[in-house]
Amino acid sequence: MDSAELAGKIVYTWLTLVLGFILLPSAFGLSLGISELYMKILVKTLEWATLRIEKGVSKESVLKSSASVGIIQRDESPMEKGLSGLRGRDFELSDVFYFSKKGLEAIVEDEVTQRFSSEELVSWNLLTRTNVNFQYISPKLTMVWVLGVIVRYCVLLPLRVTLAFIGISFLVIGTTLVGQLPESSLRNRLSELVHLTCCRICVRALSGTIHYHNKQYRPQKGGICVANHTSPIDVLILTTDGCYAMVGQVHGGLMGIIQRAMVKACPHVWFERSEMKDRHLVTKRLREHIADKKKLPILIFPEGTCINNTSVMMFKKGSFEIGGTIYPVAIKYNPQFGDAFWNSSKYNMVSYLLRMMTSWAIVCDVWYMPPVTREEGEDAVQFANRVKSAIAIQGGLTELPWDGGLKRAKVKDTFKEEQQKNYSKMIVGNGSLNSELD
Amino acid sequence: MGATHSASEEVRELEGKTGFSSDQIEQLHRRFKHLSGDQPTIRNLRKGPSGLADEINFEDFLTIMSYFRPIDTTMDEERVQLCRKEKLRFLFHMYDSDSDGRITLEEYRNVVEELLSGNPHIEKESARSIADGAMMEAASVCVGRMEPDQVYEGITFDDFLKIWQGIDIETKMHVRFLNMETIALCH
Repeated sequence: MDSAELAGKIVYTWLTLVLGFILLPSAFGLSLGISELYMKILVKTLEWATLRIEKGVSKESVLKSSASVGIIQRDESPMEKGLSGLRGRDFELSDVFYFSKKGLEAIVEDEVTQRFSSEELVSWNLLTRTNVNFQYISPKLTMVWVLGVIVRYCVLLPLRVTLAFIGISFLVIGTTLVGQLPESSLRNRLSELVHLTCCRICVRALSGTIHYHNKQYRPQKGGICVANHTSPIDVLILTTDGCYAMVGQVHGGLMGIIQRAMVKACPHVWFERSEMKDRHLVTKRLREHIADKKKLPILIFPEGTCINNTSVMMFKKGSFEIGGTIYPVAIKYNPQFGDAFWNSSKYNMVSYLLRMMTSWAIVCDVWYMPPVTREEGEDAVQFANRVKSAIAIQGGLTELPWDGGLKRAKVKDTFKEEQQKNYSKMIVGNGSLNSELD
Repeated sequence: MGATHSASEEVRELEGKTGFSSDQIEQLHRRFKHLSGDQPTIRNLRKGPSGLADEINFEDFLTIMSYFRPIDTTMDEERVQLCRKEKLRFLFHMYDSDSDGRITLEEYRNVVEELLSGNPHIEKESARSIADGAMMEAASVCVGRMEPDQVYEGITFDDFLKIWQGIDIETKMHVRFLNMETIALCH
């Protein structure tokens, strides 16, 4: 047997194994238990590694576990308290102290910019990328790490890439084929089947382990599903358990191909970039969609951008003005097995996917929550905040009132002006002068 | 080998100059890199009149931070006074925008206007009169009784110190930097 034949045989065996063990069970929604076994081994290994690291820490080489504790303890006192003391109500030179202190605290550490970079782990999970300071602890640990690298890059990565390739091609081909059929319930069922199978394959491509909670609240047709956003994989995770109509901008490249293919099989709502700016147009089209009770529920991410899964940022009120029933969903990833956050300024889509495929696994929890509607006398902003709090509490995330758009945009001047207004109210009152001058 | 050696040299130097521990310096360095976008300096600071730099490097960054560290009360009196003077000098420079050593009435007015400008109810006149009043007060502290036609040039740094004498600035001008080591060892 020469090398070409050998190579051919290997590829053939490989594909048969993949087909038998992964693809067919996915099509039927079954599981052979291989991934569970993998996860068990993984968890045991990571526990062992953590213990070894903790044992190996000596007095000098301290573990940089500065994850959730910052470098400063912020002074949370409001302006009135901070400025009072030795002063009367007039302007004092010392007032500048308070502002410069607050300013410096914000420069050193603020609660928003840290949400746009990956969460730091409390204990190392044997991936080089999460090791902020690589410290040599022991030969055993290094060996396990090397073994981990080999397993991830040489065994898991090819497997995952194969699966992803198969999954996406199947999606594109399948939806194109189904799209040829006339409009009927058969077509809808087939498109659902194609959808779900491909999603399951793609989830296996990432070694994803997803726990769905409260399935009875799964979003129904004619409703709107809102969730917190961490990465494009959120979409994959949600669609594995049900079909949704997507809303979003038309992209180019790989995403564009997938988008166009999906539209053929069932109606999604894709917008051109220019159309996105016209809020009324967007609202109108979405309203039309949910008015049709036969159409799939719309999936929207109101934050508008990827956040690093430690907090939930401001929900844009647009999605909450459409009306209809809102089904909130909370998604929380377990960072120990792999970091799912897409830092779009640092990584493009392809390198992001590669990073995903060379992590240990993607483990996450999805909580479906009871549907809510807008109450009497509640405006869209209050409604959005209500839903946001519910999602934050369910997912164990902190809640921030700040806009996720701050990732790229500067803070609006109105915020600064508000601080100035507060201060001047203290000094001068509302327009009346308070001091006695000679 | 050589690179790491010189890096830790720098860290030690900074430790000595600013009083931060090496862990804190590393953390602040990461923050600096984040703010500067991995450049060696932070640029695009607000362009002011001459005297304001339009870019700062990490050493400047750290030096400014160190002005806000709490004064170590276990040090001897002389050092405490020195630290206090450093802090007040920093503050003086914030007012004295053209760095001529004097805070003139104009500069003072600018600062007050800057702090109050957000409020639409306050007119420029009110802000001015506040500044004028404060300036008079400063004059009376520094120079005592003035002749009717004597003009008060501006607050010098010594006058500035005089105003603050006896007043405890410690509680107002410090940021609580946490000691990283003690946190880590708790795990």
